[in-house]
Amino acid sequence: MHDPAIATARGRAMRAEQPAWSLLSRHRLRLWGIGLILPTVLFFAVFKYGPMLWALELSFTSFDMVSAPHFVGLENYRNLAVDPVFRETLVNTLIYISGSTLLITAVGLGLALAINTRVPGARHCMTAMFLTNLMPIIAVCLVWRFLLHPHGLVNQLLHPFGAGRIDWLTTSTMAMPAIILVTVWRFAPYFMVVFLAGLLAIPEEFYEAATIDGANALQRFRYITLPMLAPIVFFVIVVSALLCARIFLMPYIITGGGPGNATRVLSMLIYETGFSYLKMGRAAAISAVLFAIMMVFTFLQMRIYMRREEAYLR
Amino acid sequence: MTAPAPISAYLRPGSAPRRWLGSIALIALAFAFLLPILWMTTTSFQAGEKMFQLTTEWIPTVWHPENYPNALSRAAFPRYFLNSGVVSFAVMATNLVFCTLAGYGLAKFRFPGDRFALLLILSTLMLPLEVTLVPTFLVIHKFDWLNTYQGIAGPLLIDAFGVFLMRQSMLAVPTDYLEAARIDGAPELRILWHIVLPQCKPALAVLAVFSFRDSWDQFLWPLTVVSVDRFRTYPLGLALFGDDYGNPPTEQMAIAVLATIPMFLLFAILQRAVKQGFGLSGLK
Repeated sequence: MHDPAIATARGRAMRAEQPAWSLLSRHRLRLWGIGLILPTVLFFAVFKYGPMLWALELSFTSFDMVSAPHFVGLENYRNLAVDPVFRETLVNTLIYISGSTLLITAVGLGLALAINTRVPGARHCMTAMFLTNLMPIIAVCLVWRFLLHPHGLVNQLLHPFGAGRIDWLTTSTMAMPAIILVTVWRFAPYFMVVFLAGLLAIPEEFYEAATIDGANALQRFRYITLPMLAPIVFFVIVVSALLCARIFLMPYIITGGGPGNATRVLSMLIYETGFSYLKMGRAAAISAVLFAIMMVFTFLQMRIYMRREEAYLR
Repeated sequence: MTAPAPISAYLRPGSAPRRWLGSIALIALAFAFLLPILWMTTTSFQAGEKMFQLTTEWIPTVWHPENYPNALSRAAFPRYFLNSGVVSFAVMATNLVFCTLAGYGLAKFRFPGDRFALLLILSTLMLPLEVTLVPTFLVIHKFDWLNTYQGIAGPLLIDAFGVFLMRQSMLAVPTDYLEAARIDGAPELRILWHIVLPQCKPALAVLAVFSFRDSWDQFLWPLTVVSVDRFRTYPLGLALFGDDYGNPPTEQMAIAVLATIPMFLLFAILQRAVKQGFGLSGLK
């Protein structure tokens, strides 16, 4: 039956057992944690960090895949610095990144605000626009190459507004804006969704209180929506800049980098230098430049991640 | 008898007519975004010579569904689609498994260097294939994986974004549940499967859609490691098809439509969970 002595003895035994049990288990859990991330860390060592170090090493060599690489010091970098094509490409890339990023952010935010009015059908409109983000990118490029043709749909639609024939893809001043237009069409709806999630997270009470205090729609946007959304705006700018920095297919398919070099970007130059001209060392040096651009944005992105992190843990 | 309300009353925020006007404007906007997709679809059924008319014929006077079989037989497209499918499903599967495992390890276990490991994994976001193209090609060359499925899929098998996504969604699962299960003697992987994962379905859906899309879209990498026709993925086939001016653009659009269908299907199946994963459950 109920014997207090036995109960106490059992309690004492359990208490004595506990430290050993929990010490063992803490050790065991540590091993589990390491074991769970190990495959991923090894994978990244082989496919990310290894190649990164190799690229750095290659960028100081001359290497054509046929004979062994030989050390040339900073020659690849010095050659790049005076190469007009590389300079033009670098400028193009920076123009493309800034133009696309600003427009993606503005259009994405605008679309999100429009959806957030919750007018009838808003949810279906959101789903429909999101489809531009799911269409295969090669299909996007091929379709837009036709739409931007002198007789294509874009010019047809602009015609009633008095626009003449615009040679989007064959004039050097219009080619980059055309590529940016396609980029915005493709990516703005994705960031619309990101913004929308941010808008939904703003407590309804804030708006109610402001309305009671007599704030109009513009004031509510200026003093509630914008400050609450600021971290997400920053996040969208950084992520879309990272996305645009690695763009390859759009200029490759739609304009082939032309006319002249007007839409050539760094990733295209890396591919051509490495695999068409087999100058692997020089291609690695161009990669280092692209890497430097990406690094700036990645550090910004990680700061956001880590800050969000602390908010989580608190 | 009441006097009719002034016009401005109808345009007041929240009034029914104003909501309907807004609705019409928004639907027009969404329609504008969809135009290229509609154009692609209608063009794929169009006669070749109608392509560069001065006005687009939105509904073909004569439908040409034979564009589809014709396009498929012009190059080895069935094979290209098979290749893309094999690679994309493999990439989706490995991402789901390894991002889940790594995310679990980072979210629910403390071990020496755990923060550093997170930083190390997140840092790979600045090393996309476009940046490491040359040395990754050399790695695949060393493995003797050129012109193989493992060569095309290899560098895509785990993505840092996926690890981060899974980790974030697992942080939201209360650790007390895991402790309780552990005291009951449940093995770690069973805890992951039965307690953690059911609460991470939206994140898994987002990961599934995006990892599939990223490899289904992949162009530059297969272009670099594939040099034989047998292992071409459909984007390579489609780009070549487009460069050859003997091929009618209508048939090119037919292949583009076929390539779009799997993506839209996958999204349709997982739509609810994906929207939840994006934090849109509050949208009515």
